[in-house]
Amino acid sequence: MVNKDEIISKFKEAIIIGDEEAAVRLAKEAIAAGLDAYEMVTKYGGEAMEVINKQYEEKKIFVPEVLLAANALSAAVEILKPHMKVEKTSIPAKVVLGVVEGDIHDIGKNLVKIMLSSAGFEVIDLGRDVPLQKFIEVAKQEKADVVGMSALMSTTMPGMKKVIDMLKDAGIRNKVKVIVGGAPVTEEWALSIGADARPKDASAAVGITKQLVEKLRKERGDSW
Amino acid sequence: MGEMTPKKRALLCITGNKKKADRISCFDVLTTATVDQMNAVKAPFPDAHRDPELCFRLAAAAWEIIGLEGFKLPFDLCIEAEALGCKIHWGRIDRHPSVEAPVFNDLEEFKVPEKIIEMGRFPIKHGVEERLRREYGDYLPIANQVTGPFTVAGHIFGIERFLIWTKKKPREKIEEVLRLIADINIEDSKEALRSGADVICIADPSATSDIISPQFFKETLVPIYKYMVRKIGAPVVLHICGNTMAYLPYLPDTEIDAFSADAQVHIGFAKQVLGDRVAIVGNVPTISVLLLGNPQTVRKATIEAISQGVDVVMPSCGIPPRTPTENFKAMVEAARCWVYV
Repeated sequence: MVNKDEIISKFKEAIIIGDEEAAVRLAKEAIAAGLDAYEMVTKYGGEAMEVINKQYEEKKIFVPEVLLAANALSAAVEILKPHMKVEKTSIPAKVVLGVVEGDIHDIGKNLVKIMLSSAGFEVIDLGRDVPLQKFIEVAKQEKADVVGMSALMSTTMPGMKKVIDMLKDAGIRNKVKVIVGGAPVTEEWALSIGADARPKDASAAVGITKQLVEKLRKERGDSW
Repeated sequence: MGEMTPKKRALLCITGNKKKADRISCFDVLTTATVDQMNAVKAPFPDAHRDPELCFRLAAAAWEIIGLEGFKLPFDLCIEAEALGCKIHWGRIDRHPSVEAPVFNDLEEFKVPEKIIEMGRFPIKHGVEERLRREYGDYLPIANQVTGPFTVAGHIFGIERFLIWTKKKPREKIEEVLRLIADINIEDSKEALRSGADVICIADPSATSDIISPQFFKETLVPIYKYMVRKIGAPVVLHICGNTMAYLPYLPDTEIDAFSADAQVHIGFAKQVLGDRVAIVGNVPTISVLLLGNPQTVRKATIEAISQGVDVVMPSCGIPPRTPTENFKAMVEAARCWVYV
């Protein structure tokens, strides 16, 4: 008799210590035991990443450990994804994500990407050093719900404001929500340039993005 | 000892002997080039990275246009990665070059070509240092910057991958690779010293404690820096970006002369931790003050850094290219007014 609670707690532990092989093995065991794949990812995977983010904030662990954990979660998601039952009523939200022009530091953006796609968002990753116009083009083309921008250098941060201004000029600012992030990006600055939110870390990004999408759907409905 | 020159003053201050100088030095050993200087001497990025004449003019502009009390080369952090085979994005007038993609997929693939310092842009850098020494005599100091081993490892292997390897691969393998990169830095430094450089700046921005643990710094990087300092045999400044407060207790073990502290480091605290063992330079905030402030806020921040105890007045990091000249000059002027009594 397989103990479901034991699988769940071992699964979380495997992600926290960044053991990719164990995370994959436990994901398979979870499916065999009839656990809900979607819940494994969003609830338990999310809880594990919250632990990681807290430890990082308290400087108990550093970026290498965070990367290992994110990779373990990501590998588990690959196993669990085919088993997720997508609810017919909810249209998956689309997030366009990228590091703004001039900036090649993409660790933070990659972590957010893993967390958001794990949580069921469809993430369109524009990569790093993304020409600002590209955010607008892809947002339009893909009818995105959220535009997410990241910058690690304070010299490239002003690009975020330009993108928001360009969304306004293109007349689609009210069609999308904008989140920004990165070490030098403060909440105060984010709001001053007209962004909707600045999640403090990758796991906070999931909750905030969900809230923003719900709000957006109320404001503009499902149509673009 | 004869007349005090900017070079003598800089060397006294950088080695922690500022009290023996007439006043504090304003010798910037990090990136000095701004768009204003490029326009003034007609030597813009990205050409100034590769053309020896333009490179010379832009390096000299630090003194000629801004009044910084010395020269520093090169303007970017990609020379090592380029010589090791990475493709470089050359940037534009207000954007520094960056490494496009890693070249090695595993630690075992890593190989240093023979005579690497005769490859890529190393000879241009050393040639310009030689010319600066020839044209400016012994009056001004010259700093040769090397990109530190951890940052170069991030360039050539990919930073995410290399960070994961620090946890997964045997520590000796990681150390071996860092040591091989350090050997490139040492060879480069020795050639620079022969060409006329006085000071070596190890710029290792990726080694910030926003990314790696103080434990990794202490166990793996400190011995590497110490190895470099001993082999280089000239004054060494180490620059690491971001909040490096947790590294402070381990800095004396590196045997560096000075540590270049970013804006997040509290100088008064750093001075208390380090005492006379390591000089502290830098700390005038590049973004909030030099780039976005005005001459008055720059003067205020400069005086604050001096009164907290910095040994050399310098920006907290490489200068943002769009920094206004009047702001940059205000920092130099404030430093010059500060005379010890």
